[in-house]
Amino acid sequence: MSVMPLLVICSILVAGGFLLAFLFATKRGQYDDLGTPAVRMLFDDVHKKTEIK
Amino acid sequence: MRCTHCGEPCSDRSIGNETEIFCCTGCKSVYDILQQSGMCEYYAFDGASGVSQRGPARDRSVYDVLDDAATAARFVDYTSGPITRVRLTLPGMHCASCVWLLEQLHRFDQGIRSSRVDLMRKTVEVEFVNTRTGLKSIAIILSSLGYEPLLTSEGTEHDRDVERREATRKIYLRLGIAGFAAGNVMMISIARYVAGEDGMDYTLVSLFSVLSIALSIPVYFFSASPWLTSAVASLRRRVVNLDVPVALGITTLFVRSIIDIVSGGGEGFLDSFAGLVFFLLIGRLFQQKAFDAVSFDRTVRSFFPLSVRREHKGSESVVPIDTIRTGDLMIVRNGEVIPADSVLMSATGYVDYSFVTGESVPVECTSGTMIYAGGKVVGTAVRLTATRPVSQSYLASLWERTASRTPRSSYMKLSDRFGLWFTAGTMVVAFVGAAFWLPNVAVAVNVFTAVLIIACPCALTLAAPITLGTAMGVLGRFGMYIKNIGVLLELKNANTVVFDKTGTLTSTYHDVVYDGTPLTQEEQEAVEAVASHSAHPVSQSIARKMQPSSTADVMVEDVGRGVRGRSNGHEIVIGSTAYLSEILGDSAIANGVGTAVAIDGVLMGRFVMRSHVRKDVPGMVKALRASSLRARLVTGDTDRDEIMLQDVFAKDEMQFRASPSEKVAAVENMRNNGATVLMVGDGLNDVSAMAAADVSIAVTDETSTLAPASDLVMPAARLADLPGLLRYTHELTWVISTALWFTMAYNVVGVSLALAGILTPVITAIMMPVSSLLVVGMSVVGARLFARRFA
Repeated sequence: MSVMPLLVICSILVAGGFLLAFLFATKRGQYDDLGTPAVRMLFDDVHKKTEIK
Repeated sequence: MRCTHCGEPCSDRSIGNETEIFCCTGCKSVYDILQQSGMCEYYAFDGASGVSQRGPARDRSVYDVLDDAATAARFVDYTSGPITRVRLTLPGMHCASCVWLLEQLHRFDQGIRSSRVDLMRKTVEVEFVNTRTGLKSIAIILSSLGYEPLLTSEGTEHDRDVERREATRKIYLRLGIAGFAAGNVMMISIARYVAGEDGMDYTLVSLFSVLSIALSIPVYFFSASPWLTSAVASLRRRVVNLDVPVALGITTLFVRSIIDIVSGGGEGFLDSFAGLVFFLLIGRLFQQKAFDAVSFDRTVRSFFPLSVRREHKGSESVVPIDTIRTGDLMIVRNGEVIPADSVLMSATGYVDYSFVTGESVPVECTSGTMIYAGGKVVGTAVRLTATRPVSQSYLASLWERTASRTPRSSYMKLSDRFGLWFTAGTMVVAFVGAAFWLPNVAVAVNVFTAVLIIACPCALTLAAPITLGTAMGVLGRFGMYIKNIGVLLELKNANTVVFDKTGTLTSTYHDVVYDGTPLTQEEQEAVEAVASHSAHPVSQSIARKMQPSSTADVMVEDVGRGVRGRSNGHEIVIGSTAYLSEILGDSAIANGVGTAVAIDGVLMGRFVMRSHVRKDVPGMVKALRASSLRARLVTGDTDRDEIMLQDVFAKDEMQFRASPSEKVAAVENMRNNGATVLMVGDGLNDVSAMAAADVSIAVTDETSTLAPASDLVMPAARLADLPGLLRYTHELTWVISTALWFTMAYNVVGVSLALAGILTPVITAIMMPVSSLLVVGMSVVGARLFARRFA
């Protein structure tokens, strides 16, 4: 059971890494506009199609 | 036949070639630009999705004002050395093609580094090298692509945008930290609950204690701070709002848990604490999201243009409207808004005052007439001398009077009253419970804090914001924008609906009715050809009514009176009855009404302008009556439409020719007689009556028009949904109160456990999230379920 404290601390550190990533992303504006990226991701496909023509 | 660019139906093939047809030269020029740049894949995303360029051609000189550094600065996000970033609002943006094209701006101007679109807010952020290009050239590029930037004197609501963005980000940050802590503390706590009192060795218990305290500290001081600061602020104002018992509950949970853990008295309630804050923040996020979705609440400044043409010592220049001084000569063209109160210098002019007075037919003004700011010039350009600076216009003062009224919100009042009641009740129960256990101080303190913890009105604070916030979001999808969530509760209380006719019950598009000898196809074509040459709004309406066709020659326009011309071999005279009686030499004609038309010297008949009742109005008013609401009509219009509306309203329910102040008086009179008034108007002209009413709805044909003082904006096409909307507000209240009763029952159970001294951390850890989840679920599902009628 002595491995438990180590495991708990490791798991919290890993989770803390994800939390930091989330905070960083929020500060950089990743969550400011949730609508336009959904539209933007469609572009590449159509682009290629028109080039083949 | 549809326009290749904008997809609107075209009447003929005169513009374009075999494969490409355009409805107007504007659309063709945008298409040409795209073709030259090899960017026709624009049409590949959403078909012919361009912005229609019909209407008067825009004059590039309006963008000259952007060369003025102070004016341009309103749009600038930041400048760092040679790089500048600006944000512009483009109302025309609407689809995936728009996003694609507007993010390719660097292909049109080497100076542009990048551009980024926000489709929801209809803004584009352009980053450019300020030594190679400027805001003015960017505005011209956008305009040539058919996306005219919104250049109002308020800038792009820039500061408010930034403020909102920051607020939303902050909620996400708080939510992230609270969620992280809640998850991890719960993981630790579950292990302890399962292991029981003696199932875990001492090192592990100490580690878990340290970890859960460490995780909870940022939750209390950062994530929960909105409630703590709001509670402190409200107590300073000597008001007890609903945030007070919440803050009390949170603080008790946090402090008691820490004491329990440090003194070794137990495992504490930190898992419940972090979970509670997490749920509270979810409620906040709902509220903020709903608030974000609405941005119609603008000021009078956003209605005025950024600039106006000023004639100074014989030369014409475009200047910011704030620089207009008394005595300056302005030139205002067709479709432009007059920025300052002024006197007409041109011989005649037509001004559409529908925003200010509500009268929907343009007014004919002659030289020397006083013209008020806010009117829109129709037809030929006019020259005006300003009599007052922009900020002192009649319209601006009207606005200020309305804006200075304190916002009324029964939602806030409800929260305040409830907060006091709730806090007092909880305190009484807690004290009585503690007193009961008294000689045993330890148990008494436990019971006291347990009551404060379990009675924390977390679910209460969630029910209303989440239900109303969800409803706001759903309604926004159908074009109905609500100023704040409290409006829905105000709407529920309304028992009298007052309509303003102009634009609300009748369509603003005028119908011309012809009365006289029927015209042959050939004659109609001739009339159209002559009428279309005159800029007079009535002539334009007549021209739209007739068959489009041939060309006319030998035109004589007697501005403001009539027009004469030859077409298809016919001599056509169209004009006021006085004008025709003069030309035909028949004084009898002068007695009639409307616009007369004569062909080859013979009076054929008259055109009468008529607006018509929106077709769903009678049914809508009937439905209102069915839900025992009173309907009234108070309008500034003349009673010429009384006959048209008499099927809808009884005679004593209608009031015509009401001036803005009479409208206010009528509304106040109803309120004094105990009515709760919902005013339905069409925006600016009703501004004071709307402010006088308990709650107001602005009905518009385009949501971009400005609607001050109104609590809700809805598109005209949705007017038939008004009774449904009012019923919906009742259902929302039902959802909220059901959730409240439910949590009350829940609290009674919880408080009983607390009083019995058996509210253990495990029970709390189960009870609190379950009740929060149930309330969130009930609120969201309820608000959505009842909203299905709008689909």
